[in-house]
Parts: sequence; C-alpha cells; structure tokens
Amino acid sequence: MVDDSPSSLSTSYSLARLEEKGRGIRDYALAFLFAGQLRAIVLPIVTAFLFLLAWQAISVLGKISPTILPPPTMVLQQLSDNFSLIMKHTYPTTIETLVAFGISIPLGIVLAGAMVYSLVVQEALYPNIIFFQLIPKIALAPLFIVWLGIGPSSRITFSVFICFFPILIATAAGLRAVETNMLRLCRSLRMSEWQVLIRIRFPTSPPYIFSGMKVAVTLAIIGVVVGEFIASQQGLGYLILFASSRQQTDLALACIAVLCVVGLLLYGLVVLAERAIMSAYDFR
Amino acid sequence: MQPEISCERVRKIYGRGTNAFEAVHAATFCVEKGEFVSLLGPSGCGKSTLLMMIAGLESITGGRVLAGGTPVDEPRAEIGIVFQDPTLLPWKTALQNILFPIEMMHKDRAAHVGRADELLRLVGLYEAANKRPGQLSGGMKQRVSLCRALIADPEILLMDEPFSALDAITRDDMNVVLLALWERYRKTVLFVTHSIREAALLSDRILIMGGSPSTIIADVKVPFARPRHFTIGETPEFNALCSALRDEITKARQTAAADDHDG
Repeated sequence: MVDDSPSSLSTSYSLARLEEKGRGIRDYALAFLFAGQLRAIVLPIVTAFLFLLAWQAISVLGKISPTILPPPTMVLQQLSDNFSLIMKHTYPTTIETLVAFGISIPLGIVLAGAMVYSLVVQEALYPNIIFFQLIPKIALAPLFIVWLGIGPSSRITFSVFICFFPILIATAAGLRAVETNMLRLCRSLRMSEWQVLIRIRFPTSPPYIFSGMKVAVTLAIIGVVVGEFIASQQGLGYLILFASSRQQTDLALACIAVLCVVGLLLYGLVVLAERAIMSAYDFR
Repeated sequence: MQPEISCERVRKIYGRGTNAFEAVHAATFCVEKGEFVSLLGPSGCGKSTLLMMIAGLESITGGRVLAGGTPVDEPRAEIGIVFQDPTLLPWKTALQNILFPIEMMHKDRAAHVGRADELLRLVGLYEAANKRPGQLSGGMKQRVSLCRALIADPEILLMDEPFSALDAITRDDMNVVLLALWERYRKTVLFVTHSIREAALLSDRILIMGGSPSTIIADVKVPFARPRHFTIGETPEFNALCSALRDEITKARQTAAADDHDG
C-alpha cells in the first residue's frame, strides 16, 4: 500500500542523480570538443561527412557497379568535368522556380486577404481550393503540357499551381490570428473591415506568411523539375532524366546535388527576407 | 442631472433552446458623471459581459443600456476601453500606439501629441515613448493601454479586469497610477475586477455581482475621502469594508447554491 517509503524514494533519487552525473560528463566531453555554438554547426557536418564516407566505403569495397551506386568521389568528378553543362541546365530551372515562387506569393496573399475580408469570397472559394488540393497534383502535370505546350509557361504554371496553396493557407491563418480583444478595440474605434485588414491583420501576419513561403519554395522547385521530367529540352530535371536513360548515374546524382544547393539557397533567401522584415517590424 | 451610464434590467442570454445560458439577469444600476464604480464578483459571473454590452461590443438580449442619455447599440467614440491584455500593436512605438485611436478617428494627430506626452508623463513612461511593446514590461504595456484609452478624452472609461494579468506588486503600482489619473481627469469609470481590495481602494461605489443567474446583488458605498493614498489599505476601516464585501459575495454564493438545489 505505502509504496513510496523513504527507502525506495531515496533509491530512485540516487538513481536519478547518477543519470544526471552521467549526462553531465557527456556534456562536458562534447563541450570540450566543440565549444558553444560551434557544436550546432560542426555536428551536422560531421554526421553528413560520416554518411558520405560510409557510402564511399560501401560502393568501393562492396564492388557495386557505378551504374547502380557510384561513390561520392565519382559524382564529384562528374560535377567538375561537366560543370558548364550542368550550370547551363541549372539556369533555366532556377529562373523558372523563382518566377513561379514570385507569382505564387502575391497570388496566395491576395486570395487569402479576399477570403478573410469577404465571407462570400471565402464560402465560394475555400471548399473548391481544398478540393483542388485533394487532387494528386503530379497527375495533372501532363495536362499542363497539353494546355500550355512544352515551353517554360507550362512548368511555371504547374509550379505555381502546387506552391501557392501553403502561402494561401498560412496567410489566411495569420490574418485570422488577431486576438479577440484587439478586434474589439478596432470595433470600439469604429474601424471598417477594410481598415482592420490593412492596418491590423496584414501587419500581424508576416510570421505566418513566411512559414508558408518556406514550404512553398521547396514545392516550387519540385513543380518545375516535375514539369521538366514530363516534357522539356532543358533544365536539371531534363538532364537527370537524360543521364538516367544513358545509365550515367553519377551525372544524375551530380545534378541532384546541384538541385539541393539551389533549394538551399532559395530557402536561405526566404529566411534572410524573414529576418529583415521581422526585425523591421519588431516581432518578438 | 441624468446619470452618465444607466442600465435598466439588462439581460444577456448566450445560445438558444436547451443550450441557452443566461449570463446576466436583469442588471439595473446607474453610474453618475465623474463617479468611479467597480463591478466586483467571482470569475464567470457575467461582469465582463455586462461591461461589453455597455461598450456596445456585445448585443443586449433584453433591457436597455443608456450612455450619456442615449441607448447604446453600437460602439462609440466617447467610450474608452481598457482590456485585460494590453492589445498593443507590436510594430508601433508606445507613442504611436497611444495616438492610434486619433489616427483611426481621423482627428488631428499633431494636436494630440501634447496630450499623449502629458499622459505618458502621468503614468511615468515619458522616457519609453519611442519604445516598442516588445521592449516594455507587462505593467508598462498596460500603462500604454490606459493612455490610449484616454487619448481621445472620452466621457466614459470602461476597464475590464485591466490589472488581473499582472503580478501583485505591479498591480499595486498600477492602482496608484490609476488613482492619480482619475484625480487628474475625473472620468466616469466602470471598473471590472475580482479583487475586493482593489475595488475598495479605487471606487466611490462597488456593485457586487453574483447569484445564478447572475445579477447585481449589492450596491456598496465606499466612504473614504479623496484624494486617496495607497496607505488607506492598512486602516481598520478599510479592512472592515473588505470583510463586509467578502461576506456579501459568500452570501450570494450560498443563496445561488441553495437555488440550484431547489431547481
């Protein structure tokens, strides 16, 4: 009945102390290796390096055919040998991604504003937009080629189609995130719905808009690359498909590596813009 | 002379049918011009609902609310409101936040900067005028909110538990600030609180809310002279008043519980 007698309590306490001590030593060791903030940078790099090392070991020591799994060194070799070719194809992919992302930001924000401002617009649009999102959008990609041809416009349109949605949803959530008492204050000042939207709701929403943009920017790249897979004579998606068909797995992987870098840079651009705006607005 | 605020059998029912809930039942009272009146009662007794109805921010199910002699059916510019949270705009400075109502009412901003300065000085925030809410403490933010409510020189000031989210020491400071502001401007104030001592310190009159359904159950005059000093809180008369108020609230609770049993 009386399970928590002093003796059992003290054992559990000393166990907890022991664990604490163990963690303390580990922490101390890690802190010694990578002091302070440096650890947060060094640790993931070391992990990635170990992963590449293991990959290298498996594909070299396991004598796996380079068509199946070329070692990272081969991929690197391809990257430097065919650098100008890869860059030639990186350019259209990056530009089309930027254009698609650039179109989807105002599109998502304006639609969200219209939906929050007008109940009629919301009731008319929102269920349909949700329904649109339920369609497996990749399956629609070939139709965009049929409708708009094999030029950049079909890829950009398809990319906008899949990446404006997170911006729309996040912005709508941000516009609605105004506290009840703040809205009461606005009503007591006899502000119009339009004034509330422009003066209160929009300035409140940047943190939300940016979180939507972070999701959208990666989707924008996916949209363009999928478009290039389906029908294109240029772009990294095209080059990946071309390399795979000729069993040049190392070249395909080199393209994928460049695609990762492009994605990282675009994501970084969004983060930088976010920081600039947040500090200007003083959100804490 | 007609009262500044008058409530006649004001009633509020939320929901419909079996889900209907009567938050306020036939509340009747008046607040004279320049009077400081507290609405005192436990959480959930409908005092905030009543205040929001007087502000024109909540619809009235039955009865009538008059402010300045005319029925309230929508929010009015001549009513200033302080909420429980400061509701400041984080991207504006303290001064810009205080002047926000002036901007929204399309009044002359330049003409009100002087008044904003005066208010900031009165609440002891003159140096913080150009700071943003993120750089201010909870008490400082609520002071800014108080200044904002007073910037347009409203006839009536409605305060909805304005200090209940603050720690006890800051709360005492805010009470001193509010006493000073009231001495300076003599607005008609209706102050919602669940703190007996706060109500006793600040008010000319205390309306106790309670019962089920909730209504005004007592109207207690506070006899202390003005201007008041915070130290009256230590006098035996003050403590006697507080315990009398506490007895009223307890009595109302017991009656409500008995009523519930009967029902």
